[in-house]
Amino acid sequence: MYEQIAFYLFSVLTIGLFLVTVLTKNILYAMTSLAGGMVFISGFFFLLEADFLGVVQLIVYVGAVMALYAFAMMFFDATRDIKENTTSNYLVFFLGGMIALMLVIIFIAPIMGDNIQSMYPPIEGAGNAQSVGLVLFTKYLVPFEVAALMLLVAMISGIILAGKKMDNSLTTQEDIIIEKEEIIK
Amino acid sequence: MSLEEFKNRNVGEQSYRMLDLEHTPETGLGKFGQVAKRTVKGELFVGLWVTLREMKNALFGGKMHTIKYPLEKLPISPRYRAIHDMLRLLESGHYRCIGCGLCEKICISDCIKMDTRYDENQRKEVSEYTINFGRCIFCGYCAEVCPELAIVHGGRYETASEQRASFSLFEDMLTPIDALKQQKEFDGFGAVSPNADENIKKTPLAY
Amino acid sequence: MDATVLPEVTSLGVVIKAIIILTIISAIAGFGTYIERKILAFMQRRLGPTHVGPFGLLQIAADGIKLFTQEDIIPQNANKLIFQIAPAITAATAFIALASVPVFPDFIIPEFIPILGGTFVPSIAADINVGILFVLGMMAAGLYGPLLAGMAQANKWGIIGSARTAIQFLSYEVVTGLSILAPIMLVGSLSLVDFNEYQAGEFTEWLIWQQPVAFVLFLIAGFAETNRTPFDLLEHEAEVISGYATEYSGMRWGMFFIGEYANMITVAILASVMFLGGYNDLGFIAGWFIIILKISFFFFLMLWVRASWPHIRPDQLMWLCWKVLMPLALVNILITAIVMMI
Repeated sequence: MYEQIAFYLFSVLTIGLFLVTVLTKNILYAMTSLAGGMVFISGFFFLLEADFLGVVQLIVYVGAVMALYAFAMMFFDATRDIKENTTSNYLVFFLGGMIALMLVIIFIAPIMGDNIQSMYPPIEGAGNAQSVGLVLFTKYLVPFEVAALMLLVAMISGIILAGKKMDNSLTTQEDIIIEKEEIIK
Repeated sequence: MSLEEFKNRNVGEQSYRMLDLEHTPETGLGKFGQVAKRTVKGELFVGLWVTLREMKNALFGGKMHTIKYPLEKLPISPRYRAIHDMLRLLESGHYRCIGCGLCEKICISDCIKMDTRYDENQRKEVSEYTINFGRCIFCGYCAEVCPELAIVHGGRYETASEQRASFSLFEDMLTPIDALKQQKEFDGFGAVSPNADENIKKTPLAY
Repeated sequence: MDATVLPEVTSLGVVIKAIIILTIISAIAGFGTYIERKILAFMQRRLGPTHVGPFGLLQIAADGIKLFTQEDIIPQNANKLIFQIAPAITAATAFIALASVPVFPDFIIPEFIPILGGTFVPSIAADINVGILFVLGMMAAGLYGPLLAGMAQANKWGIIGSARTAIQFLSYEVVTGLSILAPIMLVGSLSLVDFNEYQAGEFTEWLIWQQPVAFVLFLIAGFAETNRTPFDLLEHEAEVISGYATEYSGMRWGMFFIGEYANMITVAILASVMFLGGYNDLGFIAGWFIIILKISFFFFLMLWVRASWPHIRPDQLMWLCWKVLMPLALVNILITAIVMMI
């Protein structure tokens, strides 16, 4: 009963917020509603008793990814509407809706067709984090490690890109000399 | 640092202590060493201890700095230039002002207005005397120019009032007759000389 | 904890608990401003608020009246909706984070109270088994308050403040997460109750003795995430006027502060439960009392540090996070893992 109410509430809120993200012309509205939608998606995980995933959704998407978006948005004037140059709003809306519908059908069809069973049913007695860990470090060990490696590569390249000019100080050499003389005095 | 030391403005005489500033390390290893040294040294805890000590002093040592102002007041210097006082003669109790008008003349912000007339004994008396404290800049010229030490600056620094006129009348500034004993005289420029009594000669009219 | 089976947690009990948390923590947050003023004043040998009520205690009420009756100004070019909801995000996330930490001891409402009688009110409102991560996640979501507030107000100080928010919170989340990873590995659980039970007994069992580095790192990162003094760059008056709160007034401004104080209490509770033995009895002192003592100590520490230490520069903030704290946390995790394996 409560779960159904919660599910419908979360669905309506999530879809509504993501619609706002797509349809609004204001960067701030888009960003806020996207972040809000991410929070409500984590609600679904909590409803499915996948607490760990729900919290990870909160930390990663809401805390990190969206904050990075927000950081990029600071280069724009967030208080003004942006001008879009789409020629036909209805066409975009129609195509977008159709693609979404198709995706839903593709994902729903197998579930409706034959009752699929979960390949790795939750282990009795093991907590949420433990079950995720067990699957990650047995069945999906290689993809997990590859993902880790990719992230490492991304991090190192990021540091190199950002660190290229780290040795060039903004203070000129003269300033440093003057500073030293003052200290010696 | 004692007060005398603090007041000594002669640069070079004080015993200043040079801080032993470290040079900024150049190499990465030097920087690392500096960070490690500062981490272990516990200088941050010295800062914490200082504030805790002050809190202890304030709460239990009775070293609270706060003056609860309207209830407690700090003594102000006798040289402070606040609202003017009109002094009285110590012997007779009559006000000292002779109505010469020098203060009115010298006032650079033109805030003193006075009027005089002859009373029934053909003595000059001050009939009107006001200082406009909206204009007064408390420069002290009036007190300096006064030949009789009649107008001086007093210590009434709480100058907020509902009306400007609250301070500015002659009667308000005049020493109350019952407070004559508290009226203070100071030595120095314009004051009665220490051997004034010896210099007094009887005027010829007395013979 | 004794082995008696606790009564079943009903939804009514959780609702009552939520109301208790909301009211009492809001009140404590208000009271915290009074305590902060008093302690900062004493450390500077001043008196602090004295005139409103006995010892100035009613200053909170005076502040409340002031905040509620102050004109609620929304700047002309601001994005009004976002500007209005941003303070609510700060306050809401701070209180949601409190849902999964043990706040007060559990109790049963006496039978003589008409409707609610006999309801069991749990210590933790939502006892999920990933409590620590949930708190971290909610504090991560809490960054949207200052962020959106700064971006919505069409003010350059606000933008700088929100940029600093994003940098500071993102960076120090890394340190918080990594620093508590080592204790989590030792305990083997993400639940705060398990943490509490792991440290039951003498105070030699406390995790701070096993994980001193993690404790210090968590404390530093906690200061940064609650925007307390050595790291309060988001609203540093001397640099960015008031940062994200520049254009706010009245109760909206007050909501940021309620959120900040609630966050301080959350961090204090987390540090006490995770590192300082939680709410176990210590010798003859009862558990509920010792947890209050510990939380008060951490709250006091935050004020103490504010009175003692200067701010740091933004570049020093980043330097500290990425070049000092994060490597230290990683090394700490490595050493812990090696010791555990052996």
